[in-house]
Amino acid sequence: MTSLQLLLDGFAAALTPVNLLYALIGVTLGTLVGVLPGIGPAMTVALLLPITFTVPPASAFIMFAGIYYGGMYGGSTTSILLNTPGESSSMITALEGNKMARRGRAAQALATAAIGSFVAGTIATALLVVAAPAVVSFAIAFGPEDYFALAILAFTAVSSVLSRSIVRGLASLGLGLVIGLIGIDQQTGQARLTMGIPQLLDGIDVVIVAVGLFALGEALYVASRLRHAPPEVVPVGRAWMGRSDWRRSWLPWLRGTALGFPFGALPGGGAEIPTFLSYAAEKRLARGVAREEYGKGAIEGVAGPEAANNASAAGTLVPLLTLGLPTSATAAILLAAFQQYGLQPGPQLFDHNPALVWGMIASLFIGNTMLLVLNLPMAPLWARVLRIPRPYLYAGIVLFAALGVYALNGSVVDLFVLYVLGLLGYAMRRFGLPVAPAVIGMILGPMAEIQLRRALAIGAGDVSVLVRSPIAAVLLALSALALLAPVLRKLLARRGLAPAPSNDE
Amino acid sequence: MIGRWWRPELGLAVVVLVLGVLVVVGTLDVSAAASQLGIGPRFFPMLVGGAMVVVGLFYVADVLRGGHGDPEESEDVDAEAPADWRSVGLVSGIFLAFAALLDLLGWIIGASLLFFALSIVLGAEHRLRAAVVAVVLGLVTYLLFVKGLGVSLPGGVLPL
Repeated sequence: MTSLQLLLDGFAAALTPVNLLYALIGVTLGTLVGVLPGIGPAMTVALLLPITFTVPPASAFIMFAGIYYGGMYGGSTTSILLNTPGESSSMITALEGNKMARRGRAAQALATAAIGSFVAGTIATALLVVAAPAVVSFAIAFGPEDYFALAILAFTAVSSVLSRSIVRGLASLGLGLVIGLIGIDQQTGQARLTMGIPQLLDGIDVVIVAVGLFALGEALYVASRLRHAPPEVVPVGRAWMGRSDWRRSWLPWLRGTALGFPFGALPGGGAEIPTFLSYAAEKRLARGVAREEYGKGAIEGVAGPEAANNASAAGTLVPLLTLGLPTSATAAILLAAFQQYGLQPGPQLFDHNPALVWGMIASLFIGNTMLLVLNLPMAPLWARVLRIPRPYLYAGIVLFAALGVYALNGSVVDLFVLYVLGLLGYAMRRFGLPVAPAVIGMILGPMAEIQLRRALAIGAGDVSVLVRSPIAAVLLALSALALLAPVLRKLLARRGLAPAPSNDE
Repeated sequence: MIGRWWRPELGLAVVVLVLGVLVVVGTLDVSAAASQLGIGPRFFPMLVGGAMVVVGLFYVADVLRGGHGDPEESEDVDAEAPADWRSVGLVSGIFLAFAALLDLLGWIIGASLLFFALSIVLGAEHRLRAAVVAVVLGLVTYLLFVKGLGVSLPGGVLPL
């Protein structure tokens, strides 16, 4: 019952006029960048990180939470109205969603996506309220070796699941880890990998890495193969749906939520697998009209995956808040935001800063409601945003990237570092290396090192200390499994036994 | 199709491998002022560098055997189109020139030129409209961030 009390306190904190304004700015900005191609919530939060110097933490996180949820809503609008796979999490929505839109049912597709996102987001946030204290009470006894093992699990799971090729996932992770190593060692003050450049002593700021890999990398990639035809946006009015749409949507929403939340909470679970599973499940369960419509624009195929997508976003917050473990690029940037305030997410955060944590969770409920109100009547506006001419869009993205990075230190050197990272981001896109493992490696790497050194110091140099705790041993075994799973799958597939993609943690 | 893909990717795979070697070599310079207990500042970088070398070797081997990653799909990208190196080069040149001249020109002029040049290279059709949008964006961002949010941006040659 105490967490209910704390949540009510959180609502009291989040419902002040100033914080409501921050929430509104957050959800609006989040929806905008979610709708716009080429820019997503991870980069937006990264560009806004400098506000952490002037804005109190509670307000900043309320805004970041709004951006995080808003980005999920915006992504579905793009995939329904513009039939091109955008963010991987809303790819599945495009399958049926765009076909619905082309048959003149865009309003219903947008409505089931928005209302489904609201239902799923609300249920999943409620699950977060229940799950978080449980995980905290379990994690309170974690030692450094357990945290190290957790980080290893996050690394391997993210690298193997997010990429179709594990070598490419691990290469991306390694690039991030190396970037994270640059700078002064926090424990001994030794400079590492700075190549004698004094500006690198403080390390490379996470903002530069995120903006370089996401924004500039994307702009260069788009420049290299820009689709020259203007985007074909399906026109739409106010989003609404009729009684039969409601009847066909509510069960897929609930099933999608049930799939999305646990996958989001797992390291490497992400949104791709549950949205795909939800799509497949709805297809199998389809009867009557739905069965005939599947493949031509069935509402079930939008309702389920969209709910799964949003529920997994809430699930991602469980390991982030309770263990300090980011499992997506956006979560990694949120972790960096905590670090800017000198806060470390984990069991202690719930103890020492309950007002902040519960204020943020309460604002998720508030932001979700705002998003529903914002998205249903304003669908035509967001459809107009989609028509922004691409030359202006990408020129603008580069301009804001330069602005955000220059504003960090007022240093031109940062702009050149940004360019190098932009080239890296371009190469990663061009050759299909996932970007998320690099961002997670960069932010979680230094923490993994600290925990490793702490654990080995306690064990007086004895390496077996790393597997002495049963929790750490299990986590490391799971990491090994995550690394081996694709190899095993390939072996089985060669024998023709396991063709279907499955999740192997 | 596949034959055309894997050659450039080999470059990235080699970068990963070489970076691993560089991390190991670069870490040897770090004087290991370790305490008696536990490990010093060299251990973790060595671990990362060594792992990068292993991953890099696997990556190179994979590319040589004909494996290739799928280019990322995105709303505005035509994944089938051949790479347009002229655009990439121009965007790079414009950005680097902007970075080099920013302190001299100041934010308003520098950012306006950056936006204008990029939008033309990326295919904006109305030059006048692009110029107007560029100047408005340069001015608005300056006023918003400098006057409104207290961020410091260079004033440059304009008397501000």
